[in-house]
Amino acid sequence: MFEVMMYDGGVYRSAELFEAIEDIGGTVLHMNRSAQMLMVTMSIPEEDRPVIERISKEIGGDIRSVPLAGTEIAVIGCTLGRHHMPHPVCDIAEIMRQGGAISVVMGLARGRGKKTSQISKREIEIIDEYDAAVFMFGNFKDCIEEKKALLEDIHVPVILVCGPEPDGMEDCCEAIISGVGRKAERMKASEERAKLAEISDAVNEVLMRKKKMLEEDPLFIHPAELKLLLENYEPIDMCLRPAPIVLHLDGLRVKIPYREHKDYFDNLVVYGRKLSEVADIVESKLEDSSTLIKIRTMSQIEDMDRSE
Amino acid sequence: MQIDVVCDDRYGGEAYAKLFENIIGDIGKSFMIVKARLVLKPEVPLFVFSVILKNAPGCKVMSDAASFRQEGDELYVSISNERYAPDVLSNLWKAYGRPNVDQQTRFDLVVRGAKQEDVESMVISTGEEAIEEILGAFWRALPEGIRVRESMIDGKVITIVATEEIMVKELRDQGMQVHADMIKEGEVIPDV
Repeated sequence: MFEVMMYDGGVYRSAELFEAIEDIGGTVLHMNRSAQMLMVTMSIPEEDRPVIERISKEIGGDIRSVPLAGTEIAVIGCTLGRHHMPHPVCDIAEIMRQGGAISVVMGLARGRGKKTSQISKREIEIIDEYDAAVFMFGNFKDCIEEKKALLEDIHVPVILVCGPEPDGMEDCCEAIISGVGRKAERMKASEERAKLAEISDAVNEVLMRKKKMLEEDPLFIHPAELKLLLENYEPIDMCLRPAPIVLHLDGLRVKIPYREHKDYFDNLVVYGRKLSEVADIVESKLEDSSTLIKIRTMSQIEDMDRSE
Repeated sequence: MQIDVVCDDRYGGEAYAKLFENIIGDIGKSFMIVKARLVLKPEVPLFVFSVILKNAPGCKVMSDAASFRQEGDELYVSISNERYAPDVLSNLWKAYGRPNVDQQTRFDLVVRGAKQEDVESMVISTGEEAIEEILGAFWRALPEGIRVRESMIDGKVITIVATEEIMVKELRDQGMQVHADMIKEGEVIPDV
């Protein structure tokens, strides 16, 4: 069983860490270097955890489990206005990041108001690109229940964070965490930190359910394996955007435009088959300079083979 | 600042009282407010925010916040009310240029080429600015979707009544009633 861990420390002697990860058969999922500081998210065999812990200690870094690693989560406020941002949306996004996820903060164009709030089809399509969506609603029970319509058509798991406990929302949310409403200050108090931990746990639980479903019907290739293949492609290697490849539970987001690199993506050979045969490759709805790869499951590919 | 909340939703009422207090604190106007009343009816929706100020915001001139001593071409300014220190400094900079304003200590300034009679009457803060800032804080505290708003200002009472779609007479009347009640309550609070 592989475990996802995060190293947080300096760059000094980090080559030894990378060598150890390779020796034990692990993979670097994400690496972020800022000046002399280094954060490395890695997937390593569970039984070899002490090896990595020892090396991290030797080179003066910290190592911890990151249950949300390998996921991309959208944290959504009703708008990007100062009524809804930055608190507590950014506090939630931060706690997701501490859990190892890549988190993205977004606001709806017309999500404010009780009777006038709405979500567009394009917004739903963009949210559906992520592994999960954390929605942040306000302080009034009436308004939260009225905004149920915003969540109804979203296909990815939705985690609702709001002030009072709403009624009748269970069918459109995987989890509801109440007790966090609109705020004008950072969530710094101990009970607020505990609430953030509760949100992180709820997201983890929801994603675990999705992971278990994928274990029952595994993907043709694990996204981390595909990432290793894609990293060798020069435009991706040269891409200056932070995290040029972002892992999803069932695929990847690659931050180079699909239109320009269509031939490479479609014809990349993975275990003897073209990538276009084993995955759905589309342009991201968020921006045309990213490509979204959704890897098909083994049963989907078998069905496809049979029908041919 | 005393905050009265009228709201059937207990969670929302408490949360908005805290939010209001934080936002007013952020703009540094808590000291100006004696009492606030928040009427929150999200089911309508209708929101009325009303405050009684310590006194009606008026125009402040330099002599209200500082004392002066003229020595030849130089004017010595001693700030007596710290709250207006940034306004005093920025107005002197604007009038005489930065090179001519020498800040010796936190509250003591020397202005070259200034005459006491000119500086004394310089306006450093108009009442309108304070009202604008308080109204801005109301707008920030109100839910974003509650966009149809009307404000009422009478002496030291400022009230805003807001709803989502059409401001019908019944809603406006409720706001005006809160405003009238606050004026009545304000009359028994002495000016500071």
